[in-house]
Amino acid sequence: MTQDTTGAATELPRLLPPPEDKNRNAHDWYAHTDRYGRLPYRERQGTLIADVEAAGLTGRGGAAFPVHRKLQAVLEAADKRRRTPVVIANGAESEPASDKDATLLWLSPHLVLDGLQLAAEAVGADTAILYTHVNRGHDVGARLREALQARQAAGVDRVPVQLATAPARFLAGQETALINHLSGGPAIPTFMPPRITERGLHGVPTLVQNAETLAHLALIARRGPRWFRGVGTVDEPGSMLATVRRADGKPRISEVPLGIPLQDLVGELGQDRAVLLGGYHGTWLTGSEARKLTLDNRSLAAVQAKVGAGIVITLPPDRCGLVETANVVRYLALESAGQCGPCLNGLPRIAAALAEIAGGRFGKHGTRPQVLADVQRWSGLVAGRGACHHPDGTTRFVRSALRVFAAEVDRHQRGRCSATVRQPFLPIPKDAARTEEDWI
Amino acid sequence: MTGINSSTALWYTSRATGVVALLLLTAVMLLGLLVTRQGRLPGLPKFAVSGLHRNLSLLATAFVAIHVLTAVTDGYVNIPVTAVVVPLASSYERVWLALGTVSFDLMLAAVITSLLRRHLSRKTWRAVHLTAYVSWPVAWFHSLFSSTDMRHGVLFLLAIVCAVAVIAAVLWRLASAGNDVPRAERVGLLMSAVHGRGRRGQQGRAPQGERTLSK
Repeated sequence: MTQDTTGAATELPRLLPPPEDKNRNAHDWYAHTDRYGRLPYRERQGTLIADVEAAGLTGRGGAAFPVHRKLQAVLEAADKRRRTPVVIANGAESEPASDKDATLLWLSPHLVLDGLQLAAEAVGADTAILYTHVNRGHDVGARLREALQARQAAGVDRVPVQLATAPARFLAGQETALINHLSGGPAIPTFMPPRITERGLHGVPTLVQNAETLAHLALIARRGPRWFRGVGTVDEPGSMLATVRRADGKPRISEVPLGIPLQDLVGELGQDRAVLLGGYHGTWLTGSEARKLTLDNRSLAAVQAKVGAGIVITLPPDRCGLVETANVVRYLALESAGQCGPCLNGLPRIAAALAEIAGGRFGKHGTRPQVLADVQRWSGLVAGRGACHHPDGTTRFVRSALRVFAAEVDRHQRGRCSATVRQPFLPIPKDAARTEEDWI
Repeated sequence: MTGINSSTALWYTSRATGVVALLLLTAVMLLGLLVTRQGRLPGLPKFAVSGLHRNLSLLATAFVAIHVLTAVTDGYVNIPVTAVVVPLASSYERVWLALGTVSFDLMLAAVITSLLRRHLSRKTWRAVHLTAYVSWPVAWFHSLFSSTDMRHGVLFLLAIVCAVAVIAAVLWRLASAGNDVPRAERVGLLMSAVHGRGRRGQQGRAPQGERTLSK
């Protein structure tokens, strides 16, 4: 592999423009080819898969599934069933706390589009779709249309790319929900199997990869697996985009090597500073736990947490973790697709109970209040019983909150709360779904 | 009628299992209709209703299998083996036995697709399962007309009761479908019900009155 000056193996950022780059057009086609060179098509189906396997790239959408296995599965299903596959770049990150895919698509759209073309070549697809949210801050759609025009003018794309937008629902980025939406239906998850790698969009083998994953893939194709492994740990190589939120609440997107100490990301952590890892389907940790941990699944397994989509949030000392959790769980309950009984019936009850705890209207002094036991019991009842992982993720979040904020629960029982600021800290989208239209 | 002895045992078995099978299939049908409305039986949790529906349908299949096998093996009337699955294959009670065969085939399709449900799309499974609405009436006519057993006395009354029960249940199912809450509105409705109740401190009132949250 050729190594240009910007390609030193340990240099970060790889995906985003360097922070000192003041070029306002860093996202355009010329800046892109200047920095990364031309698109390295392999001219043969499947040869990229071996490189991806050697690189050890895993999905950056949160599940960390090995990318080469998905590619292989789609390729095999396509061969076996003699159907031409479809490739979908999933840029519809639905965690309200995350902003990394939107940022990546805004700053480096061509890298994602490169990855989409290379993935399409690797599995022999003839259709590519880029699925995004209508963005909150930037007009990502306009930038992507502009990028596609530039590529058309340069004649680089071999597979036509369609743009699709997701409804503003928490579950809209879930794989099966995405397939349902692109098929013209509401963006609600369905039961697997059939796996979408075998029967996805319109029944053909379908590869769905997170936008960031495809950007990494585009760089592995250019610079090779050894370069990719230049950062990260042996088991979990490479870098990832992390969304970090500190006291000011503003998201900072930074590209970090996997295995970076959490303290390097969020700064010095006091014992009583709670950290939320992995977003609203993630896990609350105490400051003393988080201080010892690094951002990789091996380290985080010790506290039953996961890297997920790389969201790291520290709760400011003037806010109450219980109130924040109750707000988020209310939002999550409202975002249930309303199709599986345990989720539909369970999450509103859990949300109501948490609101009761956060509001301090529960139990008498010294008794263990029934409502706490209820939340624990309901959490056990709904986990693992939906078409998607919405109930599982929500109850993981709830249980970790009750553990980390146990002292705060006692305080609330005595009618006190440690928050001095009323305004909610964790971002919560305003509009809940009211009709079927909101899911389409 | 003569008594039961070794030469008539199969014939009596076939007739008796046929009657029991009709009762079981009626129960399966009623439970199935209850499941589509997510209804409950007194003292049973919701999932137990679908569990009962499933288990009774397997039991009914077993009874139908014995009913069919004994009818074919028995020498009293000559029914060819092909008549088990091929309609109109028997010269004895040609039309009425054909109804039994059709009903049995549809029943087998429903059972097999249910056992393989995790490999099928919901659409396919449901399409096959809907044939129960054909299978049951066909089985009922087969019961009533292929022998004289069910055309008199207590058994005739039983057949009428079964028919009335199923017709009433189907009408109830159609009528209550109008009360459905659309999927997208379910969560909001439950949320406001649950939160409203929490705030007023009232317990134990069903959140949504007459409306059903099912599909």
